[in-house]
Amino acid sequence: MSLMTEELKSYIGRETGRSAAVDTVETGAVRRYAQAIMDPDPAYMDNENVRFGGAAAPPLYPAFMFRLPFGSPDYLTERGEDPDFDGLVTAVSSGLPELPLPGFALLNGGAEIELFRYARHGEKVFQKSRYADIRERESKSGPMLLVLVETVYETEAGEPLMRVVKTLLRRRAA
Amino acid sequence: MMDRHTEVRRRVFEEVSIGDELPQLVKGPLTTAHLMRWSAAMENWHKIHYDLPFAQGHDKLPGLLVNGSLKQQFAAQYFKDWAGPDGWVWKIGFQFRAMNLAGETLTLWARVTDVEPLEPYGLVRLDFGIRNDEQKESTPGTATVALPYRDGPAVPYPFQPPVA
Repeated sequence: MSLMTEELKSYIGRETGRSAAVDTVETGAVRRYAQAIMDPDPAYMDNENVRFGGAAAPPLYPAFMFRLPFGSPDYLTERGEDPDFDGLVTAVSSGLPELPLPGFALLNGGAEIELFRYARHGEKVFQKSRYADIRERESKSGPMLLVLVETVYETEAGEPLMRVVKTLLRRRAA
Repeated sequence: MMDRHTEVRRRVFEEVSIGDELPQLVKGPLTTAHLMRWSAAMENWHKIHYDLPFAQGHDKLPGLLVNGSLKQQFAAQYFKDWAGPDGWVWKIGFQFRAMNLAGETLTLWARVTDVEPLEPYGLVRLDFGIRNDEQKESTPGTATVALPYRDGPAVPYPFQPPVA
């Protein structure tokens, strides 16, 4: 039986509005990020960098700026006693409506990333996402769905920073 | 040769040929502290990266997993440093095919598969991957890097993709 339904097809093309990251590009956050990825590129702290117009964030930084805003519910406490709580907090996802796939496992299959410029310290970053495609594929363990989610990251003025198309693999949990 | 950082210098299109192998980039051994540091930096509290009883007991994993998000950072660094100060990493694509566990050392490799002279820059296409200590490939992918010409200007920034 095909996993692809008319209802699922209706999600293709659905998109979010533009949303802002909770913080601007902060120097301390860039430092922690660069240290964690073990990339001591001087451009990350060089306020005089001519090419980038100031200190730049690491290439993929914009995709990791969408975090829980101040005042959000504290899921770690609320679900602290739940043995099934995996620690993932859904509010940091793309903001797209959940697909009607109850009982389907989700695997991150990979991504295609396109880079246009780096975010600079002090800049605000915005994102918008859409279901670029949903299609079915046979795999060794039976049929699965490939869900392609496109997210565009841009500056306040709408200048593109990067574009990411993530492939999410959805299959019935065993 | 265990290279922890790619040599960063101005790289030009004329010096690159199909079949060239890039110097490898080595990350690790990636301890649980490395994984915790990355989870904290991006504020992602997914337990499979730091809670061993949860990872093994609940998710039936063999150990704590290296974040896929960390592996993609390594790929971005690898090509950014290779492209040099006047180049630009236009595209990186990869598939998460296998997991990597805490304790593994990851080695990034890449090979030039195509070169395309355009104006005002040239494009270099590469295959790449991430192997662990046992040479198991976990993250095969491709990248497209724009490089300046020897006597030409830096690749335009912000990057202007070629007109199709």
